[in-house]
Amino acid sequence: MKTVIIGLGNPVLGDDRVGIEVARLLRERLGDDENVTVKEQYAGGIRLLDELAGFERAIIVDSIVTGGKAGTVYRLGVSDLPGTRNTISTHDTNFRDALSLGEMIGLALPGFVTVFGIEAGNVETFSEDLTPEVKEAVPGAVELVLKELRDCKERQCA
Amino acid sequence: MKRITIDPITRLEGHGKIEIFLNDEGDVANAYFQVPELRGFEQFCVGRQAEDMPLITSRICGVCPEAHLLASAKAIDDIFDAEPPSAAKKIRELLYSAFFVTDHTTHFYALGGPDFIVGPDAPPSERNILGVIRKVGLEAGKEVINCRSRNHHVIKMLGGRGIHPVAALPGGWSKSVSETERKEIEEIARKNIDFALFSLKAFDDIVLKNPTYLELVTSDIYLHKTYYMGTVDEKNRVNFYDGMIRVVGPEGKEFIKYHPRDYATHIAERVEPWTYLKFPYLKKIGWKGLTDGPDSGVYCATPLSRLNVSDGMATPRAQEHFEKMYETFGCKKIKGRYQPLHHRLATHWARLIELLYAAERMLELSIDPEITSPDVRKIPERIKGEGIGSVEAPRGTLTHHYVTDERGVLRKVNLIVGTTNNHAPIAMSIKRAAEKMITKGTVITEGLLNRIEMAFRLYDPCFSCATHSLPGGMPLTVNIRNRGGEIIKTLSRY
Repeated sequence: MKTVIIGLGNPVLGDDRVGIEVARLLRERLGDDENVTVKEQYAGGIRLLDELAGFERAIIVDSIVTGGKAGTVYRLGVSDLPGTRNTISTHDTNFRDALSLGEMIGLALPGFVTVFGIEAGNVETFSEDLTPEVKEAVPGAVELVLKELRDCKERQCA
Repeated sequence: MKRITIDPITRLEGHGKIEIFLNDEGDVANAYFQVPELRGFEQFCVGRQAEDMPLITSRICGVCPEAHLLASAKAIDDIFDAEPPSAAKKIRELLYSAFFVTDHTTHFYALGGPDFIVGPDAPPSERNILGVIRKVGLEAGKEVINCRSRNHHVIKMLGGRGIHPVAALPGGWSKSVSETERKEIEEIARKNIDFALFSLKAFDDIVLKNPTYLELVTSDIYLHKTYYMGTVDEKNRVNFYDGMIRVVGPEGKEFIKYHPRDYATHIAERVEPWTYLKFPYLKKIGWKGLTDGPDSGVYCATPLSRLNVSDGMATPRAQEHFEKMYETFGCKKIKGRYQPLHHRLATHWARLIELLYAAERMLELSIDPEITSPDVRKIPERIKGEGIGSVEAPRGTLTHHYVTDERGVLRKVNLIVGTTNNHAPIAMSIKRAAEKMITKGTVITEGLLNRIEMAFRLYDPCFSCATHSLPGGMPLTVNIRNRGGEIIKTLSRY
């Protein structure tokens, strides 16, 4: 199953870079695997469609702020993401709308999308360093993504 | 006092908060907005090499990295006293034109369009890009995606990397354009022109020919007679990449025209105790609060502002549409230039005219014989120690100002980003929206949220200047307070 792993975030905005860091480690761990592509991505919304099109499965790693303990890793499906239709200030659509748009116009989008959200501590100060709690969570997040890939193979993602 | 806190679902797009204060009669006295502030950018940059700034500043934002890239490139040209060769400037402008096509397209179809094409009072569940595509057709939806993809491809080709191009160097560009690339870009530019014309026609058919929508656009709901700012070329026409900053008054008279380097002489930033947002204003006029008119230093920097300060568009078809817009609103010409248009909802129309201009300019540059010249770099020979660069970001004039030591290591960094210019006008439009929807203490809830959203959207603000993370929405809270400051009602939308 052709899989894309996308680490999403702003590499200079503190814990917002955690998705990028996880992706970099995954790239090292996975090496050359013709079925798995690892990407870093700095913007969400419709822009993600270009990155997702043509893959059968997508795993997205991103920072998230829910008010929980920094460093907590959540595994989410698309339906767990807030279904907001509000377009107040983003210069783009939200992820769910982007996926709906892609489906509407017939893009070949992945049938399986999993999101790993890592609770951020600080995403309001420019920095290339993660906060200690989030830094500690990185190896665990890497393992979770690898497990996701393994389970998928075993279960044929059915 | 009851205060409801809304937990943001993800912070990364920011969390907007609006405070509306009522008077004793229950009518709107004041309205303010707040958004989260990102901190520490200057400290993050100080101590780094100035030539790294195009890469660093373009990472501030996932929405308009190309604007930061080029303002920064121009600032470091200045620091190293290295004027780029003509071909390098043209390549930069070509990349920037492709960027404007994608950015304005996204805004119209994903953000601005829903208000008009689906309708201002349609429920939020329909007022989005999906609703727009349902109305204008599936083919148009595909074209929106294709338009973005092909122009991102151009940006990647010219800039060496997709979202954060890497080719900017002090004194020019690291990569020339091959004939094969040029041909491909020319073809893409032609498609962009067709798409821009299609979008203007959709606006004409769906908005201008519908009496209800036309009335909305021409109504006084967001009418503010402020000063306007924009960059103009040597013939006082709109230019996104380079030129002089021109400011016109509410009646249309040129107030001042200055080199971007002199921004600090003309622009000051007001700090108010109730918010950390800064409010830029015209120094010579002075700060008179959140109010319009010739005596208030408040100015606006948007697509409509850029058209308002210009004598016209530099490309033929954009010029036709420029004239049509001002004629539709009955603007008179004074000394060969239209009087400014103050109806802020016309900004959406102006944005489409700019989309057409960007596409036409892209074609002009792609067939310019000089565009494939290998002479794209002037090697810097000295370090001046200070540099200022400015471009028109889609959402307003963007200025980068750096000071370095004699080695070119940064000591000081100051940015005035596009949206900041419009903080005061946005607050004024929100107040106007609130006044229409709150009278004698009665609040029309859904109408208020819709009208506030419309006010935001017409300015196309980008508050956090940060990456858009999942799921990419800005939760909004509106607090309505009585004269004593107590919250009497809280509205929110995720």
